[in-house]
Amino acid sequence: MTAPMTRKQLLRRAAAGAGALTLPGLLSGFDPAEVLAAGKPFAGKTLRFSNWPLYIDVNEKSKQHPSLQQFTKQTGIKVAYTEDINDNAQFFGKIEGPLSRHQGVGRDLVVMTDSSGLPARMIQLGWLEKLDKKLIPNIKNLQPTQRHPSWDPQRNYSLPWQSGMTGIGFDPKKTGGPVNTVSELLDNKKLKGKVTFLTEMSDTIGLVMLDNGDDPSKVTNKTFNRAVQRIQKAVNSGQIRQFTGNDYAPLLAKGDVWACLAWSGDMVQLQADHPGLKWVQPTRGAMVWTDNMLIPKGGNVQLASTYMNFCYQPKIAAEIEDYVNYICPVVGADKVLRKTDPDVAKNTLIFPTQKMFKNAHQFDAKASQNAGYKAAFQKLIGA
Amino acid sequence: MGPGLAVLLLFFVVPMYYLAHQSLETGSLEVGYTFKWAWHNYSDAISSNHQQLLRSLSYAAISTGIAVVVSYPLAYWIAFRGGRWKNLFLLLVIAPFFVTYLIRTLAWETILADGGPVVGVLRWLHVLGGDGRLLATSAAVIAGITYNFMPFMVLPLYASLEQIDVRLLDAAHDLYASRRLSFLRVTLPLSLPGLFAGTLLTFIPAAGDFINAQLLGTPKQYMIGNVIQSKFLELTDYPQAAALSFVLMAAILLVVLVYARILGTERLTG
Amino acid sequence: MTASVEPMPLPAQRGTALSRALERVRHWVLPAYAGLALAYLFLPIAIVIAFSFNDPKGRFNYTWSGFTFKNWAHPFAVPGIGSALRISLEIALISSVVATALGALMALGMMRHRFRGRGLINTLVFIPMTTPEIVMGSSLLTLFFQKWPLIGYWHLGFGTILVAHITFNISYVVVTVRARLAGFDNHVEEAAHDLGADGWTTFWKVTLPLIAPGVLAAGLLAFALSVDDFVITYFNSGETTTFPLFVWGAARVATPPQINVIGTMIFVVAVGIALTNVIAQGRRARRIAAA
Repeated sequence: MTAPMTRKQLLRRAAAGAGALTLPGLLSGFDPAEVLAAGKPFAGKTLRFSNWPLYIDVNEKSKQHPSLQQFTKQTGIKVAYTEDINDNAQFFGKIEGPLSRHQGVGRDLVVMTDSSGLPARMIQLGWLEKLDKKLIPNIKNLQPTQRHPSWDPQRNYSLPWQSGMTGIGFDPKKTGGPVNTVSELLDNKKLKGKVTFLTEMSDTIGLVMLDNGDDPSKVTNKTFNRAVQRIQKAVNSGQIRQFTGNDYAPLLAKGDVWACLAWSGDMVQLQADHPGLKWVQPTRGAMVWTDNMLIPKGGNVQLASTYMNFCYQPKIAAEIEDYVNYICPVVGADKVLRKTDPDVAKNTLIFPTQKMFKNAHQFDAKASQNAGYKAAFQKLIGA
Repeated sequence: MGPGLAVLLLFFVVPMYYLAHQSLETGSLEVGYTFKWAWHNYSDAISSNHQQLLRSLSYAAISTGIAVVVSYPLAYWIAFRGGRWKNLFLLLVIAPFFVTYLIRTLAWETILADGGPVVGVLRWLHVLGGDGRLLATSAAVIAGITYNFMPFMVLPLYASLEQIDVRLLDAAHDLYASRRLSFLRVTLPLSLPGLFAGTLLTFIPAAGDFINAQLLGTPKQYMIGNVIQSKFLELTDYPQAAALSFVLMAAILLVVLVYARILGTERLTG
Repeated sequence: MTASVEPMPLPAQRGTALSRALERVRHWVLPAYAGLALAYLFLPIAIVIAFSFNDPKGRFNYTWSGFTFKNWAHPFAVPGIGSALRISLEIALISSVVATALGALMALGMMRHRFRGRGLINTLVFIPMTTPEIVMGSSLLTLFFQKWPLIGYWHLGFGTILVAHITFNISYVVVTVRARLAGFDNHVEEAAHDLGADGWTTFWKVTLPLIAPGVLAAGLLAFALSVDDFVITYFNSGETTTFPLFVWGAARVATPPQINVIGTMIFVVAVGIALTNVIAQGRRARRIAAA
C-alpha cells in the first residue's frame, strides 16, 4: 500500500495533470479510497442524513453515534442525522409535495423500504439522484444476493442499509407445536382469532402466494386474486384477528396472538425476553425486504456517496450491525463480529445462512405500486 | 377577535381551498393532476365507503354518550365539591395525555389482554361476545375512543358547572324542591352549554379518528378515518382522499347542526 | 328559571334511622362515582408507571421482566428523546398560551356583538375540528412550501409545527370558552362601566376573572392536544422531532422504558406544580384570615 498523499502533493499532481481539478481526473491510476482518505475533498461540508429511529449504532453513555463520529474523522464531513422516518408511506406523503414540484427536501440521504414499492416508484418519477459509484468502491462488499434487485438492476440509485425477513413467529407453548406453513395460519381452526397478518401488502400477499405455489416476484391478476380470496375467507371467519404493523409484537409477547407473520428483527428483540418464542421461514418460502439508502433529488450526491462507501467497510458495518441487529448487507461484517460479539455473529436471524437466503423471495416491485392491487388489498384489510 | 380569525383564515381556510381544488382533480403522481370538476370523486367516495362512514358516526355517538355518563358526575363533583383542589383535579383529568397515546394504548392492551384478569372476570360473568375477548372488537375501539376524549368532555362541563351559583340551589331547596328536582330543573339546564360543548368536542374529532380502530380493532371495525389514511398514504389517491374528507366533514356538520337545532343554540352559545 | 313546588315530605318521615343511613349513602355516591371515573382515567397510567421500572433484556417493553431503577437513573439515555421532549413541551406551552389568548378573545367577540356573518364564523370555528388530521396536516404543508410574498420559503420545523398547533387549537378554545360565556352576565360589565372603569380595566378586573375557569380549562385542553399530536405535526415538522414523533418512530424497533419514565415525570411534575399551588393558596388564605 503506497503512502497516502498529503493535500499539497494532491494539488501539485492535479496542477501538473491536464485539465481542471476534477475528481475523476485525480482518481485515474490511484486507489480512490486512499485518495479520499488522504485528501478529504469534502471536509467541512455537512451530510443531511434521515433515517429510521434506533437504526444506527449508539453509544448509550455519550449518546453519540460512534460510526458517524468516525465518518467525520475520516472524511471531515459533518453529519446532520435526524431520525424522522417512521413509516414509508407517511414519509413519502411528507416529501412528495416538494419533490413533485421539483423542489429539494433538505436531505442528502434517506432510507426507505423496497417492499413498499416506493423506491421503485421514486425512480420512475425521477425523484432520485444517481449514486456516484466512483466514490463507492466498497460496493464490491455488497452481498451477492442483493446486487441486482428487479427495480434497480444496476444499483444505480440505491444501496441496502439493512434487510429483514418476513416469516412466521409463534409461541410453541400456545400453539402446541411448530407452525411451519402459512396454510396453518389460515386454516388451522385451533388458531382462530389468535393469528395476525401484516398491513404490508408485499409481505402478506407475498407469503400467501408462496404458500399457493405462486411466484411473488412475478405477480399476475390470477395469482394475486387467488391470494386475496384465501385471505378474505380467513378475515370473514375471524381466523385472522387483525392486520398489524409491528404492533403484533406486544400481542405475541403477551399471548393474545399465538402465531403471526413476523419480521426477523422483531423476533431477535422479543426472544431476548421470551426465549421460548420462535421464528421460522415458512417451508414454502419467506419474503425478504431491504431498507435502502437513497439520494432524493436536490441532495448532494458526492457527500451521500462518500458515506455509502464508508459504511460498506466491513469493520464499520459490523459496528452498526452489532447495535441494529437486522440483516447486514455487507460481506465480511460477520467475520469481524465473530471476534468482537460472537452471539450476534452466530444468530441466524442476523446473519442468515445461504440456504435461508435461497428460500427468501422479493415481491414484484411493479405489483407493489399497481393501483388496482393496492386498492384491492386495502379493501381486504378493511380500509 | 381579529387575530384569531386571521390565523384561521390564513392557515386553515386557504389550505382547505387547496384541498377542495384537489378533490375535483383527477390523475396521479405519474401523469400529473388536472382539475376537471371531477364530481365523481365525491360520488365514488360515498358509494364505496358509506359503511365505514355510518360506522364512524355511530361509534362516535356511542363514545360520546358513554363519555357523558362517566364525565358528568366527575365534572359535577370537581365543580361543586372540589373546593381549593379544583385546579388540581382538572390537571389530573388532563395528565394522562402527557403520556403519549402509544404507551397508554399499550397499557390498555396489557389490562385487557385475552389472558388477563379483566377478560377473565367478564368471561366468568358470561358477558363477552362471540369472540371471547375484549381486544380487537368494537368494544375495544369504542372504549379506546371514549378514554381518549374524556378530558374533552370533562373540562367544558366543568367550566359550565363551576359557574352555577350555589345560592340558586339553596333557593330551590328553600322552595321545597327535592334534590332530584333541583338538579333537573336548575343544575342541568344551566350546565347545558358545557354539555353541548363537551359533546361537540368529543363527537366531532372522534368521528374522524382512525388510530383506535387501527390498533384495537379488526378490519370489521375500520372507520372512515382509516379509509382516508389509506387513500392518502397507501394509494396516494389524493383527490379521492380530499373528496372523502369533505364528505366526512359535511356529515359531521350535518349531525351537529341537527343536534344544535334540537337543543337550541342561541341559548347555549351566548 | 324557577323550580316548581313539590309538597314537602311528611315530618314524621324525616329523622328515621333508615333515612339518615340513606342520606349518608347518598352523600357518598357522588364522590364514589367520581373516584371510579378518576380511577378509570388512571388505570392505564398505573401500568405505564409500573412498566417504567421494567428491565427488559430486549428493546421492547411489552411484558414484565424484572424490577430496576436504572431507567429512572438515566431517563434520557436514549439519544434524541431529551430534545424531542423539550421541543414538545416548548411547542405545547407556546401554542396553548397563544391559542387560548386568541380563542378567548374570539369567543368574547362573538358573544358580544350580533354582526352579520356571525353564523358563518360560528360554523368556521367548528370545521377545523371536523377535518381529518391527515388532510389538515398535508394541506397545511402544501401552504408552507409555496413561495410566500415577503417571507419567501418557510423553513419547516419548530415554527411551522407551532403555527399548525395554534391553528387547530383555536377551535377547541373557542368552543370551551363559549360554554363558560353562555352563563355570563353582561350586566356585571355594564356595572363596571357605570362605575367609571374603562374597557381594559373592565376586561382585566371583571371579565377575565369571571371566565378564568373556562380559559384555564381551554388552555389545559390545548396543551394536551399539542403535546400528544402526531399526524399534523409529522407533516409539518421538517426534520424536527417532537416526543410523539419520536415514540411512534422508535416503536418500529423499540419501546424503551425511558418513554414511560418521561411520561411519568411530566405527570408528576404537573401534579406537583398544581399541588404546591393549592397549598400556597391555602397558606395565603390562612395568613389573610389570621391577620
